[in-house]
Amino acid sequence: MYSNKKECVAMLLAGGQGTRLYSLTANLAKPAVSFGGKYKIIDFPLSNCINSNIDTIGVLTQYRPFALNQYIGNGQPWDLDRLNGGVYVLPPYMKSAKSDWYKGTANAIYQNIEFIDKFSPEYVLVLSGDHIYKMDYSQMLDFHKKKGADCTIAVINVSIEEASRFGIMNTNPDGSVYEFEEKPKQPKSTNASMGIYIFKWNELKKYLIEDEADEKSSNDFGKNIIPNMLKDGQKLFAYKFDGYWKDVGTISSLWEANMDLLDKTSGLRLEDSSWKIYARNAAEPPHFMGDHAEVVNSLVTEGCEIDGTIKNSVISSCVKVEEGALIEDSTIMPGAVVKSGAVVRYAIVGDGAVIGENAKVGDTQTGMVKGEWQITVVGPGAVVKAGQIVPVKAMVD
Amino acid sequence: MNNLIMSIVFASDNETKLNELTIHRTTASLPFCGRYRFIDFTLSNLVNSNITTIGIITRSNYSSLMDHLRMGRDWDLNRKNSGLAVFPPYSSNTSRSMFKGKIEALYGILDYMEKANEEYVILTNSNIAANIDFEDVYSQHVSNGADITMLTYTSHPTSSKRVLVEKDFTGKVTGVRLTANTSDEQAEVGLNIYLIKKNLLMSLITDSYERGMLDFEKNIIQQKVDNLAIYSYHVDGYAAIIDDVKSYYTESMKILDPAIRNDLFYRCGKIFTKVKDSVPTLYRDGAEVKNSLIADGCDIAGKVENSILFRGVVVEEGAVISNSIVMENGHIMKYSELKYTITDKDVTVTEDKTISGSQNYPVVIVKNKVV
Repeated sequence: MYSNKKECVAMLLAGGQGTRLYSLTANLAKPAVSFGGKYKIIDFPLSNCINSNIDTIGVLTQYRPFALNQYIGNGQPWDLDRLNGGVYVLPPYMKSAKSDWYKGTANAIYQNIEFIDKFSPEYVLVLSGDHIYKMDYSQMLDFHKKKGADCTIAVINVSIEEASRFGIMNTNPDGSVYEFEEKPKQPKSTNASMGIYIFKWNELKKYLIEDEADEKSSNDFGKNIIPNMLKDGQKLFAYKFDGYWKDVGTISSLWEANMDLLDKTSGLRLEDSSWKIYARNAAEPPHFMGDHAEVVNSLVTEGCEIDGTIKNSVISSCVKVEEGALIEDSTIMPGAVVKSGAVVRYAIVGDGAVIGENAKVGDTQTGMVKGEWQITVVGPGAVVKAGQIVPVKAMVD
Repeated sequence: MNNLIMSIVFASDNETKLNELTIHRTTASLPFCGRYRFIDFTLSNLVNSNITTIGIITRSNYSSLMDHLRMGRDWDLNRKNSGLAVFPPYSSNTSRSMFKGKIEALYGILDYMEKANEEYVILTNSNIAANIDFEDVYSQHVSNGADITMLTYTSHPTSSKRVLVEKDFTGKVTGVRLTANTSDEQAEVGLNIYLIKKNLLMSLITDSYERGMLDFEKNIIQQKVDNLAIYSYHVDGYAAIIDDVKSYYTESMKILDPAIRNDLFYRCGKIFTKVKDSVPTLYRDGAEVKNSLIADGCDIAGKVENSILFRGVVVEEGAVISNSIVMENGHIMKYSELKYTITDKDVTVTEDKTISGSQNYPVVIVKNKVV
């Protein structure tokens, strides 16, 4: 019998401004930032959903939603243009006199209870729009069902040094969570929350309503919902994920994730066709390599015209690199132009930016600690004048 | 221009001599320029000119074409009103054999044309590479007061059948010559694309078919030069008809010229094709690629020069490809060498092989072959 019912609905939190990406997110939300040559960050959770047989997704937007709305469109590139379900962009809207922006992650879901109820799901999957990873959510859902959990939180093993930067789940031997610590100074374990949750919908709904009634709450999953559930003795489980996962919320980590695409040992394998990442297609011809092109250990995308030297870099669609230009250890976003004689090292060059002739952007780095790279950024549409020198870690808007 | 012009596309042409390249497919689905099929150029030109009622007449081997087109979504042709109609090979009631020539083919779909709301029809073959604005063709058609506008370009006759056009200073066609003789002299040559009022086309088709005439160019265009106002529309940018292995090779290589590439891919609009979600191409240490067109999804560790690689081609270390075309998912293993070679889809060249053709006679390796 036909019905609107869905077993699991995904809610993707895509409202964040991403202030730590500075000029890269001056005009668009973090999930709409370009990644890996032809993708945007949001392609990863959207593709993971469809590959995991989850075909109903609410995308919660708030900060500069236009680029993201336009990119998602009817969801066709991810096979999410469905008669029942599919992808919905959900900005905050007027409900009554006391309507609000999304006050926090939990409040964003609270404001869309009606949307979720339309599909009468048993489970709700809560996702972030700023992580690069390939993950089968259906396996996590199976785990959640098998454990009879009220809430399952995906965790990844991090080093003990890194652990103080994450929310840490302290677990019993059976995987159940007895304690959640946000950025602990002295971490008891290294199970870092990935910001991916599966809830029993009727339980989550109850907690969202209670949380909304609490005026002191910051309406946040990590700060309020999870601790409240633990306090009440609900069944919370940690689901261990051992694939590649990276939060790309900072310039350094965004650059590093792009570089991970070139590192065979990183575990991030875009080319694995059993788990494709889909993206809206730019309808560009194949890229062209000119007579002076020298390209090694790099990714190059459709629509590029390359006549310079490129090493250890990710070159996105429609980038032009003129004769005599040199790009090393950098990621160049769609439509940027690097003119002749320009040198770009350890940098992120934003969409449509222009690096003038003989300009110098960034410099080589040695002895840097992973995660603390000194990356130079040229913002989207910015112009670096001919001969201009942009020093290490500088940002050009 | 919605609901003003429809189009009928002929997916194959029995005049072509593409041999090995069209054993498994119609001309329309022959791969071209790294990620396209020939029909992509025709469909994109039509869609970019707001022509969205498109009938495709197939003749044989059309499964590769159906697979490529699906429901027309990649060209934005999955519409509620209008969109794609694909006509499988059919025979008319009277002859009981496969239709012969365009006139019989069109006679078989008179009903489809009748039912469409559009007033004009663009007839086109699909072995043409060009970027054409049909809205401009239409305005010229109207301002000329033409009955038929035929698209022409400057070329020289080849050994394949060509329509040579003589015209006066207004562009009115005064003579049409059909030839299959090679000549080095430049001439105004028909691209086998026509704009015509639907009612006029239907009556010409009915009339010719009932008198047993089957050749559109000979029995209609050539015969009616004096009775109808036939005008030429000259295509300025890059244009080519591909109908044998040599022209396929030569025209492919021309795309390495930036001016020609710009003309074909951007002149009046973008060229759309089936989206395959390939990843960007990986250049490994040791890769050396010059003057080449490389599609997404390739993995290159060897040397590539003056060549075209389609999506998903693997070039292992020590392999050398020059002046060649490697179609989708080709795999060229270590220390193998390709010169003046066209490998069709899914060809594997094992280690240490040398395949070498010449500029005038490129070697063709057929689909799925392991060398």
